[in-house]
Amino acid sequence: MDEMQERLDLIESMIKRARNNFSESGHLYIVWGWVIFACCVVQYFAGNLMGYKQAYLVWWLCWTVVPYMIWYIRLQKRKEKVRTYTDEIMDSIWITFGISAFLIGFVIGTNIGQDINKVIVPVYLVLYGIPTLLCGVILRFRPLFIGGISCWLLSVASIFVDAQEHVLLIAAAMIAGWLLPGYLLRSRHRKEMAHV
Amino acid sequence: MFKDLDPILHTPLRLAIVSLLISVREAEFTFLKEKTNATAGNLSVQINKLKDAGYISVTKQFRDNYPQTLCSITPKGIKAFEEYVRNLQSYLQAGK
Repeated sequence: MDEMQERLDLIESMIKRARNNFSESGHLYIVWGWVIFACCVVQYFAGNLMGYKQAYLVWWLCWTVVPYMIWYIRLQKRKEKVRTYTDEIMDSIWITFGISAFLIGFVIGTNIGQDINKVIVPVYLVLYGIPTLLCGVILRFRPLFIGGISCWLLSVASIFVDAQEHVLLIAAAMIAGWLLPGYLLRSRHRKEMAHV
Repeated sequence: MFKDLDPILHTPLRLAIVSLLISVREAEFTFLKEKTNATAGNLSVQINKLKDAGYISVTKQFRDNYPQTLCSITPKGIKAFEEYVRNLQSYLQAGK
């Protein structure tokens, strides 16, 4: 009977070891969080306060991050010794988010032209909340979960804020949704790495 | 009436390999070696036995000019593992 119990203990310990392997460094949350935050701040100050009509062009900065992100993900995959089901689900969530973000911007922009400024921020805030909250649930990481909810609350807050100021809501969403959880994830990851 | 425990899974190292693979999509040979603390030679032999039984699939490829062995559990392996755990539990319950 002891032998049987030993086998069950072995199974349990191996399953735990496989699960404990998971660790998210938060790097891309931080990179994207800062880039979008910077775009918001530049657009607000240059566009709204200083009156530059081309201030929205700052958003092209996001495209320069895409090659870096692809390079970074490929590098991580090369280092990866194990691929979990969680990894696959998270990848699918972020790919779905990326495609949706692009399509929403493209489709709404094409359909309503300049009026996009009035609706795009609340829509994007709802969209930001979805992967952020889902990843919080999957990683069992409360700051991301709260970050996702914050994005949705900021979307609701946009009803009470002038459309000109909407971009500041995105900046706030970046702090609550991606930057704070990103730094907390990084800190947790570094602690885990220190114990390996 | 007790069912015999699957002899392929009843060996500790083979059971450890299958238990690790049941939790992940796929794992590299080095990951299995690290988690089981087995020697490369022994691990390799046990992986081949599991592969021959159809419990795991093994893919050998090159990544950055280095050979890489990826293992993942097959549907037959999942079924065998579940059956093994069920049988273990029934033995243990009968012993109480």
